[in-house]
Amino acid sequence: MIITDRHFQTLLKREVLRFTRVWTQTIIPPLLTSLLYVVVFGIALGGRVKEIHGVPYLQYILPGIATMSLITGSYMNTSSSVFDAKRERYIDEVLISPMSDLQIALAYTLGGALRGVIVGVGIFVLGMPFAGERVAHPLLLLLIWAVVAFAFSALGVIVGVVASRIDHVTFMTNVVIQPLAFLGGVFYSVDMLPPAIRVATLFDPIFHTVDAARYATLEISDINPYPTLGIIVLFAVLAFSGACWAINRGPNLRY
Amino acid sequence: MKNVPALQIENLRKTYPGGLVALDDISLEIEAGKFFGLLGPNGAGKTTLINSVVSLARPDSGRIEVFGRDARAEFREARRMIGVSPQEVNLDKFLTVEETMLYHAGYYGVPRKKARERADELLERFGLTAKRKARTNTLSGGMKRRVLFARALMHYPRLLFLDEPTAGVDVELRYSLWEYIRKLNREGLTILLTTHYLEEAEELCEEVALISGGRIAAQDTIEGLKRSHGAASLEEVYMKVIHHDNNG
Repeated sequence: MIITDRHFQTLLKREVLRFTRVWTQTIIPPLLTSLLYVVVFGIALGGRVKEIHGVPYLQYILPGIATMSLITGSYMNTSSSVFDAKRERYIDEVLISPMSDLQIALAYTLGGALRGVIVGVGIFVLGMPFAGERVAHPLLLLLIWAVVAFAFSALGVIVGVVASRIDHVTFMTNVVIQPLAFLGGVFYSVDMLPPAIRVATLFDPIFHTVDAARYATLEISDINPYPTLGIIVLFAVLAFSGACWAINRGPNLRY
Repeated sequence: MKNVPALQIENLRKTYPGGLVALDDISLEIEAGKFFGLLGPNGAGKTTLINSVVSLARPDSGRIEVFGRDARAEFREARRMIGVSPQEVNLDKFLTVEETMLYHAGYYGVPRKKARERADELLERFGLTAKRKARTNTLSGGMKRRVLFARALMHYPRLLFLDEPTAGVDVELRYSLWEYIRKLNREGLTILLTTHYLEEAEELCEEVALISGGRIAAQDTIEGLKRSHGAASLEEVYMKVIHHDNNG
């Protein structure tokens, strides 16, 4: 069995060990950054924005902030773990072991997803007392977060394999993931945007994840949440297929 | 299963993008229990050959069997029987020496208790017990080599690939490694050693293949090679074969 194998479980355990061993780099900074968002955008600026869709501003932005950190945490975990392992060639030890490529891709992806979920849930729980947040559909929220974390973690595996220099990894984080997250409706409703930008936002996958998380928490969303869920699941399937391809055929891994 | 070879390679071909032929229709058989040497200049295809067996390199064509198991179709069974001590140090920098051993065993499915016993035994054997809690990136070059070696043995392989195992190793460690490898071989472990230290091959190997330009240029016991090439030493054989090959 794919996930009951000791081989697979060992690699997953290694991935968890890695991010917990460097927790001052992997867990604390995103928690701190997100709390700063809560303070700056929610408490300082929130006095001016007041409400969106009838919800206090801080309550409105908290699910999005948590989702944004969950996404960057998942993505950064796998992209840097896989890239490091490839650069220093210790990924070879895994590649020549009796594990299948599917098991390898899954272990890396789940490891990263777990970090993302820990960070995202951590931020949400820490921010809840400030925002007076209540969660309408907790199970749905967890499900959305799990799928989103899985998707972006799988994307990180692809980038970790394909990148030939560390700046490719950081480029993706700073120039693709972060802007998409900021423009994904974390801090505003797309209803507040001019029509052209509103349409463009629909092509931002992070917008869908934020919108779905906000629906699960507050029962408000910019677009119908159920097709959005479908889009997220589709994205996760595509990203994971890409991760399996990367482990099997990716450049500079096997030759 | 007495006659099943440890490694059987048939018509293996590997061309790199750009057209370089790394392996040119190589066939090779290594009997179980043999101490086999693969010699040749840098870039001759030695590492590509080893990597093809464990699927790090993807050959264009050919067939590979490890103790009768197809290296592609039955990759789990085949890879479980192979231990690799690579040429380049590739230790996981997030792990300690002891974790390196235990995680490696885990990747190969060795049960926890057995892995722990094996790790104790190998750490002791390679003089690493005092360093068991040290992160691998804090070790000296010689220590790292020993860890690579011990790691390759953690899952009780039946076929051991030693790819330039003593590159950059001091004389004392080299001799103690030789002694240990010999003992493992006497106990039944099949060993494929690649090296360009001819003295090392002459000291250890029963049978040798000289590889040049992706082809096997000569293969025999060391005595057989000396006889057939009218040479007094393996070095002379090597010079004759490789030199002839490169100019011929």
